[in-house]
Amino acid sequence: MSEALDCPSPGVPSADGEVKITVRDLDFHYGDFHALTGISCDIKARSVTAFIGPSGCGKSTFLRCLNRMNDLIPGTRVDGTVLLDGQDVYGPGVDPVDLRRRVGMIFQQPNPFPMSIYDNVAYGPRLHGVKKRSELDDIVRMSLERANLWKEVKDILDRGGLTLSGGQQQRLCIARVLAVQPDVLLMDEPCSAIDPTSVQKIEDLMAELKSSVTIIIVTHNMQQAARVSDETAFFLQEQAGEPAILVEFGRTAEIFTSPKDKRTEDYITGRFG
Amino acid sequence: MREGFRKELKDLKATVLAIGHDIVDVTRDAVRSLVEGDVDLAERVIEGDSDIDARCLGVEERSLEIIATQFPVARDLRLLHSLSYIAMHFERMGDLGVNIAKAARRTAGRQGPQTLYDLIQAQGNLVQRVLQAMLEALEKNDLETSRKLQELDEPIDHLFKQFFRELARLQEEEDIEWGSSMVLASRYLERIADHAVDIGERITYMVTGQFASCEDDEA
Repeated sequence: MSEALDCPSPGVPSADGEVKITVRDLDFHYGDFHALTGISCDIKARSVTAFIGPSGCGKSTFLRCLNRMNDLIPGTRVDGTVLLDGQDVYGPGVDPVDLRRRVGMIFQQPNPFPMSIYDNVAYGPRLHGVKKRSELDDIVRMSLERANLWKEVKDILDRGGLTLSGGQQQRLCIARVLAVQPDVLLMDEPCSAIDPTSVQKIEDLMAELKSSVTIIIVTHNMQQAARVSDETAFFLQEQAGEPAILVEFGRTAEIFTSPKDKRTEDYITGRFG
Repeated sequence: MREGFRKELKDLKATVLAIGHDIVDVTRDAVRSLVEGDVDLAERVIEGDSDIDARCLGVEERSLEIIATQFPVARDLRLLHSLSYIAMHFERMGDLGVNIAKAARRTAGRQGPQTLYDLIQAQGNLVQRVLQAMLEALEKNDLETSRKLQELDEPIDHLFKQFFRELARLQEEEDIEWGSSMVLASRYLERIADHAVDIGERITYMVTGQFASCEDDEA
């Protein structure tokens, strides 16, 4: 693990309102295209933050800035600061692979590896050097329990992960991320490709996990944002070709009853977007 | 852009405004029945109340249905919630109108001092002014008018207090019984105006998202 990113284990209690991620004056470019500008916000530890906004408003791009997933796309550039527990994730000496262990990601389409359920969950810990079978067994069980999947799969751990239903696959992916003990979970529309019952399970799961993990979810479903999140950020690209901005960031209950910015109000009440 | 939903909201607000205009009529008729000793008019006010109750309940039901099916947020949610709340006030204002009409039924045929009739009529006129202003504020989302309601309400409270002072001068037992009904009617009028002031605060919330502090209207 990189020293620059060493931090307390997840689940360590802290004062309310502790900031997990601090973003200041972030600009992002895809080559010549200026995608995001002037983004500043504080993501609170052990809470759920929802990113909302019309398609193409840069919310997923911003999400990927938080664990340097955009580094994998050639020609991208990030300006500004992203601090995780006060340490610059773009600073020298930061290992992006280790960063992504600490800031895990769940995608729209469940993407289990073509291997057994057990091996899917054990994959990360093995990569990080855990070899002892009993230790791996414990991690697999604990991760599947935290992902609320253990009861459904405990007798079929050697079965392929891809044989599970879509909703189970998504929870398997969550278990796989949890197995490496992340501090932060980035979820990029995690429920848009699964059935309503599974959506409910994942929303329940988020409520349980937030006692130990900081969760950020990008969602197109505003009811979901309202249901699951503590804070909401509204992104908007006002004109085609212009970079998107963070219009408003605040308590979810306030955003959905009395937003401060008229653009937020017009978007969430369906007047555009 | 959710045109059907917008129309639903507009229609519901129109329904609430229509009930509000009927409350203005109910209040005016109740006062007239009291001052003129018109029992028939008092009966009509009393009979009309169940219709107002049903329409107020209808607003609450429709509002709940829209919330359940359309997931309104922000100003739309504030509007729906406020319309339900305002309808609840109207229902109570209608009941107070009925109470005044019942006082008219009790006092009809007995003649008290003219000063007290004049006071009730004056109070009734002031209440009409508050109600009209409240409806205007609601119709136009007019913050300035909604904030003036408190000010318009003050002379009504003063008249209620004056009513008590006048009442103390009554000597005959019969007059005192009559006077008690009249003072209750005066109190009901004062309460109707208080409801209008509360609605004004609700309009402010509906428009701005900020709760205005409620004055203690029981004082």
